[in-house]
Amino acid sequence: MALVSFSQIEKSFGATKVVHGISLDIADGEFMVLVGPSGCGKSTLLRMLAGLEEIGGGTIAIDGRVVNDVDSKDRNVAMVFQSYALYPHMTVRENMGFSLRLRKESNRVIEERVSQAARILNLEPYLDRYPRELSGGQRQRVAMGRAIVRDPKVFLFDEPLSNLDAKLRVAMRAEIKALHQRLKTTTVYVTHDQVEAMTMADRIAVVNDGRVEQLGTPLELYDRPANLFVAQFIGSPAMNILEGALAKSGDSSCVKALGQRWPVESSGGTDGQPVKYGIRPEHIGFAGRGSGGIAAEVVVVEPMGAQTELVVRVADVSLTVVTHGRANLRPGDGLSLSPEAGHAHVFDPATGRRI
Amino acid sequence: MTSRKLLSEAKLWLVAIPILLWTLIPIYHIFLFSISSKDSAFSGALWPDKPTLRNFGTVFRQENFYLHHFWNQIWNSLWIALAVGAITLAVATCAAFAISRLKVRGGRTVMNAALFTYFIPAAFLAVPMYKAMGAYGLLNSRWSLVLAMVTLASPYAIWVLKQASDKLPWELDEAARIDGATPLQLFRLVYLPLMLPSLVAIGTYAVLLAWNEYLYAFLLLSHENTIPLAVGLGHFLASDDSPWEILMATALIYALPPAAIYYAFRRYMVGGLTSGAVKS
Ligand SMILES: Nc1ncnc2c1ncn2[C@@H]1O[C@H](COP(=O)(O)OP(=O)(O)OP(=O)(O)O)[C@@H](O)[C@H]1O
Ligand SMILES: [Mg+2]
Repeated sequence: MALVSFSQIEKSFGATKVVHGISLDIADGEFMVLVGPSGCGKSTLLRMLAGLEEIGGGTIAIDGRVVNDVDSKDRNVAMVFQSYALYPHMTVRENMGFSLRLRKESNRVIEERVSQAARILNLEPYLDRYPRELSGGQRQRVAMGRAIVRDPKVFLFDEPLSNLDAKLRVAMRAEIKALHQRLKTTTVYVTHDQVEAMTMADRIAVVNDGRVEQLGTPLELYDRPANLFVAQFIGSPAMNILEGALAKSGDSSCVKALGQRWPVESSGGTDGQPVKYGIRPEHIGFAGRGSGGIAAEVVVVEPMGAQTELVVRVADVSLTVVTHGRANLRPGDGLSLSPEAGHAHVFDPATGRRI
Repeated sequence: MTSRKLLSEAKLWLVAIPILLWTLIPIYHIFLFSISSKDSAFSGALWPDKPTLRNFGTVFRQENFYLHHFWNQIWNSLWIALAVGAITLAVATCAAFAISRLKVRGGRTVMNAALFTYFIPAAFLAVPMYKAMGAYGLLNSRWSLVLAMVTLASPYAIWVLKQASDKLPWELDEAARIDGATPLQLFRLVYLPLMLPSLVAIGTYAVLLAWNEYLYAFLLLSHENTIPLAVGLGHFLASDDSPWEILMATALIYALPPAAIYYAFRRYMVGGLTSGAVKS
């Protein structure tokens, strides 16, 4: 278990700078998820922490010890790769025990630790098989087993679930989370899937273009996204964003967009200021007919069982609306929307920052 | 079987039969000679009247003038071929690992320079090689031929092994590094086992190259006791009235080890020479 701290980390490949001064402190035992779109530099950050990539600038410390010049093998971190990277010529048992064997642990210790890990991961029946004889999910567990037998200071995961099918991914997500709750080892987990980030993380760092856009717990990011990027990245289906202008009169404020008034809780900003108005699909309710809601027309109805996703059109702009239960609606029907003021977000269109 | 399948099968045989005959007829000829007695050797029959194995006995008992050193020479052939195989493998494996996995600076340049030597015909290199071996006092020692053959075999061996190494997933090296492996441990515990098919293929290639070599063997070695059998066989041609049936019997014996090696490792030869043949 350990504290990990990145400070002012930079990295360039040739002339392209891919990490621009990232600082991030990860607490002892924390499950930190780095999430961001493809190519934003998440893997690069993780690989610098693992010692697989030279650190371009700044320092990385594990437990207060700067590891910039420490060899990967002396950092006491364990990594689970997207491709699993199991040694094809070794059995599951040998794969898991490899690091201990290199450390010259006694056979008794290796046997003990491997079978303990195998028990935790339900791998006992497969210990004498080769990786090619395992399913994707089993391989994934072996890769995790290889990491946990070492009892490392930090676990690193680089998109470990992206090669699995949807169902297995959900199962493994829970398994990794349970494992973390059991071992309480500091974990850095990289993914581009915001659902994975939301469900697993203690805290999430949203990375974009080599910078941390926002750092916080999953619900902090969901409730109060610091900028447009985070607002659109976190949450599924994505937040609706409209261009408009702030209208303030006394205590009440709203955003005028698409010729309608969209209520917001009073916030900063000045009257008449152009803004971007954001509202999540699940925060748009229905108003009774003629009760002053926003008139819209149904375009698509997607019943999912527990909830229904609607695409509706307001003055030629499509919005997504999610409603619990079933909606007795058909394309072409008219309805009246009532967005919740308490859950509306207002952003400065120039900087993208929350107002 | 559909008619289309039948047709393509027929076309295949149309190509295969001439090729098969082309390669098998000379071998059949050697075989025919080796089981004929001296008088019937040139009879031109498709099968000798009285097939005999006496020629082989003559060879094994070294009863012919040209074969007084048969066992000695076949031992030389074997010794040289195995030494060339082992040394080429050692050199090429280390080079491929350094170039492909450790990304040693200038590694690719060295490999390309080595491959460039193939632009010079081996025959042109013979004289400089002879002088070099003379300078080191190795002439007439089996080592001279071994070193010469390693020189000739290595560039290709390095190139093939480097291509195969490049196909190993890079994450394996990274995983091993994180697991705590030093470069040497990585080489021994991860790289070598995964490269095994390619190593077998390249080792076989070097062994067969040395086993079949004539020019350099003829040039660098001249003593009856140091020459390999290939050169010894060449001596048969020195006389006007060569005992062909004995020569052919010896040739057949000489051709057996390569055939056996090839048969044993055929799986690796095809896979290994064309690809890394390693599942990740
Ligand atoms: N070895 C390299 N040489 C040159 N450029 C690289 C190298 N590795 C990564 N990059 C570049 O650095 C940027 C960040 O790469 P990185 O692998 O960290 O992205 P990522 O956030 O992990 O993306 P993904 O979700 O697709 O894995 C990318 O634009 C990539 O092209
Ligand atoms: Mg990545």
